[in-house]
Amino acid sequence: MLNFARFVATRGIMAIITLMIVSLVVFSLMELVPGDCAERYLAFKNTQGSSVAIQAELEAERTRLGLDRPFLERWGKWIVNAFQGEFGDSCILRVNIANLLGDKFWLSLAICLASLSLAYAIAIPVGIIAAASNNAWLNNSLRIVSYLGLAMPNFLLALMIMLFATVWFGETLTGLFSDEYRDAPWSWGKFVDLLSHAWLPIFILGWSATAFALQTVRALMSDEIGKLYVTAAAARGVHGRKLLWGYPARHALGPIINSLGFDLNRIFNELPIVALILVMTDAGALLIEALARSNDQQLAGAIIFLLTASIVSLNFITDVMLAVIDPRVRKSIVR
Amino acid sequence: MTDGPNPTDPNLARTTGPHVAVVETEDAVERRAKEAYFTASQGQLIWSRFKKQRAAMIAACVLIFLVISGLFAPFLSPYDPTISGRNKDYTNGAPQIPQFCDKNGCSMRPFIHAVERERSMATNFRWVTKINEDERNYVQFFVTGDSYKLFGFIPGSLHLFGVEEGKIHIFGTDEDGQDLFSRTLHAIWTSLQVGTIGVFIAFVLALIIGGVAGYYGGWIDGVIQMITDAVRTVPAIPLFMAVAAFMPPEMSAEARFFYISIILGFIGWPTLARRVRTHLLTERNQEYVLAAQLCGASSPHVIRRHLLPSFTSYIIVDLVISFPYMVLSETALSFIGLGLKDPVSSLGVMLQKATSADVMLNYQWYFIPVIFFIALVMAFVFVGDGLRDAADPYSDTKK
Repeated sequence: MLNFARFVATRGIMAIITLMIVSLVVFSLMELVPGDCAERYLAFKNTQGSSVAIQAELEAERTRLGLDRPFLERWGKWIVNAFQGEFGDSCILRVNIANLLGDKFWLSLAICLASLSLAYAIAIPVGIIAAASNNAWLNNSLRIVSYLGLAMPNFLLALMIMLFATVWFGETLTGLFSDEYRDAPWSWGKFVDLLSHAWLPIFILGWSATAFALQTVRALMSDEIGKLYVTAAAARGVHGRKLLWGYPARHALGPIINSLGFDLNRIFNELPIVALILVMTDAGALLIEALARSNDQQLAGAIIFLLTASIVSLNFITDVMLAVIDPRVRKSIVR
Repeated sequence: MTDGPNPTDPNLARTTGPHVAVVETEDAVERRAKEAYFTASQGQLIWSRFKKQRAAMIAACVLIFLVISGLFAPFLSPYDPTISGRNKDYTNGAPQIPQFCDKNGCSMRPFIHAVERERSMATNFRWVTKINEDERNYVQFFVTGDSYKLFGFIPGSLHLFGVEEGKIHIFGTDEDGQDLFSRTLHAIWTSLQVGTIGVFIAFVLALIIGGVAGYYGGWIDGVIQMITDAVRTVPAIPLFMAVAAFMPPEMSAEARFFYISIILGFIGWPTLARRVRTHLLTERNQEYVLAAQLCGASSPHVIRRHLLPSFTSYIIVDLVISFPYMVLSETALSFIGLGLKDPVSSLGVMLQKATSADVMLNYQWYFIPVIFFIALVMAFVFVGDGLRDAADPYSDTKK
């Protein structure tokens, strides 16, 4: 038990250090964007009818916003706030970022996690069956699907589905909510409405993740199936599904759980563009909005930080899960 | 034991003298094959294993075909891909497929029908493009047309095909009347260029960072690994977007092009760096390195003659595998408007306009270039996979 606690603690500290490094990268990027908040505020004020910005005014604004402090101090402040879920105000939209993101971030995260689960719900059984069977037709078609998943970026898939939907059904499958529910508070009706719209983004985002996961599962399983302990179990008379799920599948499970974090990363990669095509106003599309239209570095930084934080937390959770199911893992790390 | 030359004699020289008939027993053939195998260079071995994979060979042919059509895009495409090569009279025009027969009979030479634009009472005073089925424009080869610079410096104005009068658009045109076929070919070239520059920058960074980590090991390796892993957890495309947003909107198309390639390279290094480091760490402690060191070889000699050849093939494979991701990232960036901009032809730029319902319902030929890009990426993936299997000396025994 003590070993396990130490393992969790080490992993937790490592996750936090990773987040710190990422936040430093993100924060430096935000700083590199030409023009700072003081200039933006003053530029905005000027459009409201006051005079041209003077240098002194600019300096005063910088002092007020704390932009004259040294880089490391500002980073420290930003990271402390970020861990509490507070990202300050966006200086373009002049609203609190946490409020702006709020529901939207959780919604996108839920969609991404749903597509991740979909991917593995398909990939694990199909991959195991494919690895176990000698059916050339099944294996070849799976290979082609996997390669298509690699080669066909999700935004192309989204475009194609939209193309067919418009040509054949005369419907554009866009948005996440019907008009009557968009601004309504959460209720059962809204949830059902969300589900009726969310299946498409979930499917599209899950598509390439499924292709990747299929390959991983199949490769791991075919490696394990050839091993001696499986032959030994078969010799003892274990056969069929019991053999497959009880022996090689259990060994292949560890690496599969390990790959979850990278698959979430892949899904996040596709999220903004798919969101843009399907006109979903969640965090992904907001990121494009923040960057392409207005150079809103605070908002962009906050979104990238939140995305990375979700990946790091998922990695942490999978590490702990692995340690729970596999004693070899906790022993090897703690030593 | 036996008289005459013994076919199983390992010393074959005696059996192949000037007065002895050449006896090629099965055994000798096999032995030669083995000899060829053991004396073959690494490149020959990889090539012989690569040849055995049908899918990878087909992909390699497709890839070579696409690369050549990208290289000679200015010659192969009938018109200039930019706005200067546009056809004002055929905007949003459907693909024109050369045909041999029509209602007026057949001809030996392929032709297309002429198009006319008219605006009258009958068309509700809107410009309407009409096909004139009585007038034929014959397809010609090696016609002189828009001038171009092949590979950026060889001037020319000869095009593979064209028509006598008017213009031919075998993939149709976009809303400005630009020829989609010409743009597709130039877009392949753009993708290859962006990918090459991006992969090259990523590779140099990976070699330096991974090399330092793998060579020194110890705590330096630990710190570099930690940073690399942290960078790897950040989703790449949102990060691309954040970095690409620095580009001032008034930047010229060429400058944007190089900027995008550099960004792709700067974000793509961690995976490669990790591979370089792993290769170096494992190879560094191999016996042959120790043997070379014991023979008194200097460090540069060991690195150049022993370490580098041991993993160049792996590195080449890694480069081929990471290439399609560069191409896809560029396409995605351009598609959302943060990458390349209009005068440059690229798939992302061409697809930007394709999201509107108008295009989807009426002008589906906007999507023809997609097929080429899927083919390009698939070809790279298959060739990369085939090379990886071929470069792995144990791939035969695994199966």
